[in-house]
Amino acid sequence: MNQNSLPLAKPQPILPIDKPKDSPLFVVLAILAFLATLTLLSLSASYRSSAHWSAGLTDTATIQIKPTSLTDEQEQPIKARDILLTFKSVKHVDILSKDHSQKLLRPWLGDTPLPDALALPILLHVTLHADQKLNVRELATRYEQLGIRADIDDHSHWRKNLESRARAIQILSILAFLSISIAIIAACVFATHAGITTQKTLMNVLHQIGTPPQYTARLFSTRFALNAFLAGCFGALAAFVLLFIFSMFFKISGTNIFFLPEFTFGLKNLYLSALVPLFMALISGLATWQIVMKSLLSEMYP
Amino acid sequence: MITPQIHTSDLEHKDECIAFERVSFSYQGGDNILKNLSFSLKQGSLNFVTGPSGAGKTSLLKLMYLHMRPKSGQINVFGQNTGMLDLLQIPPLKRRMGVVLQDFSLVDHLNVFENIVLPLRVTATPRADYVQDAISLLQWVGLGDHMAAMPETLSGGQAQRAAIARAIISKPDILIADEPTGNVDHNIGQRLIRLFVELNRLGTTVIIATHDTKLIPADATILRLNNGTLLQERMQS
Ligand SMILES: Nc1ncnc2c1ncn2[C@@H]1O[C@H](COP(=O)(O)OP(=O)(O)OP(=O)(O)O)[C@@H](O)[C@H]1O
Ligand SMILES: [Mg+2]
Repeated sequence: MNQNSLPLAKPQPILPIDKPKDSPLFVVLAILAFLATLTLLSLSASYRSSAHWSAGLTDTATIQIKPTSLTDEQEQPIKARDILLTFKSVKHVDILSKDHSQKLLRPWLGDTPLPDALALPILLHVTLHADQKLNVRELATRYEQLGIRADIDDHSHWRKNLESRARAIQILSILAFLSISIAIIAACVFATHAGITTQKTLMNVLHQIGTPPQYTARLFSTRFALNAFLAGCFGALAAFVLLFIFSMFFKISGTNIFFLPEFTFGLKNLYLSALVPLFMALISGLATWQIVMKSLLSEMYP
Repeated sequence: MITPQIHTSDLEHKDECIAFERVSFSYQGGDNILKNLSFSLKQGSLNFVTGPSGAGKTSLLKLMYLHMRPKSGQINVFGQNTGMLDLLQIPPLKRRMGVVLQDFSLVDHLNVFENIVLPLRVTATPRADYVQDAISLLQWVGLGDHMAAMPETLSGGQAQRAAIARAIISKPDILIADEPTGNVDHNIGQRLIRLFVELNRLGTTVIIATHDTKLIPADATILRLNNGTLLQERMQS
């Protein structure tokens, strides 16, 4: 009896846990999860980056004073600043030093020392109050009246450009995420059909002994949901780690990639990554339930 | 004590468990395999379906255990017209019938014990409620030493008995077996028949399809099929 009760202690799973047979689909699902997580994380990063740029660009403006003489070079920036400070939207104005301006011009002028007599454009860096806009037209008129030659750039052109690029990338990411989701659903449906086919004998026996169809459907859908969840965890974790390494690398090397600068090893990203395996488990479970129920009912009493 | 019910009229018997009324059957547009069959089987009866190969024995059993629908006519099981049932009412009805198929249909990744307790597991019966019964049943069918064996290691006769044990573990009202002695020698065949007779004594309605008329006990009802019609029926006492 001892010998006999040995295998009876723990019930064998009715649906076999057959790793080698499952593995090709497991790999496919893991890769899809990897791609889904990558797009999801870069999507969220691009949203945060563009919000960051827009904020950074909207509350600043740059003004270039082009003095015609050396005396102008001394006086005009101060006059220009004083006028700026009469505007309600202006919070703060920095006159960039001559050195700084020179540094900015170096790409065009090269390293040759500039003659002191040459009047150089002077840059004013304007900080605006949050959510306020510089009245560019009024400022231009006031400068004109005082004979100050200036280029006023409130960054709106550049901002619009950046924003439309960011939006294009976001739309592409959303499309990529949607198509990966469709591929995930297709893979789950395929996995279920394959599972039903390889377990034909079991299905027939369960049918013949009068198993409630809900029981069989639950058996398959919990198994496939669990498989999809595990595959999803592998893929999502791989994507998360990869992006983390990338962002660390760019942080260290100082380079920035369009959608990466905002990526951090934050909890928010971890939650986002966890959504992928949960989504896959849900899709897989529902698809399996649906398919198994349909197949069982169609063969219930033909 | 057992009376054959081979007629269409007066089907008011409360104790009949399977009744056919003018049942015909054909496979997908072919000729009728079963032609206008009418009979009823009483609860607790011992029945044998015989006839030459191709006579339609297996097809008749399949209609009985609700594996497929008749093309015409009506089949009543436990007093219920099966043609009128909702699909979800079929499984509970099937759970009242134990079926032993010609190919045994054992699940090859489950050991003998797990195979035979499957009908109980799928109805969420607590394990403690059936472990002892299952062990006794396996000993009764002579598989006490093979509980942990996998189906592929069993001989034909052992697999046959495992399939029988699975068919009767949930104490069904009807036991249906298709050629249960087809894969075993005469001796084991007789032992299996004795097992069915014993089961029948305990109250189960037994329906067995077989070629081997020599194995049929004297007090059994016989449905003799030929060419899809019921040729002859017999009751010996
Ligand atoms: N799935 C099927 N599709 C089409 N025809 C079938 C099918 N199964 C059986 N038949 C045909 O139906 C007839 C009856 O077959 P059935 O299996 O019921 O006979 P049987 O009496 O059980 O024969 P045997 O003693 O050889 O098991 C045969 O002519 C057979 O060829
Ligand atoms: Mg047959």
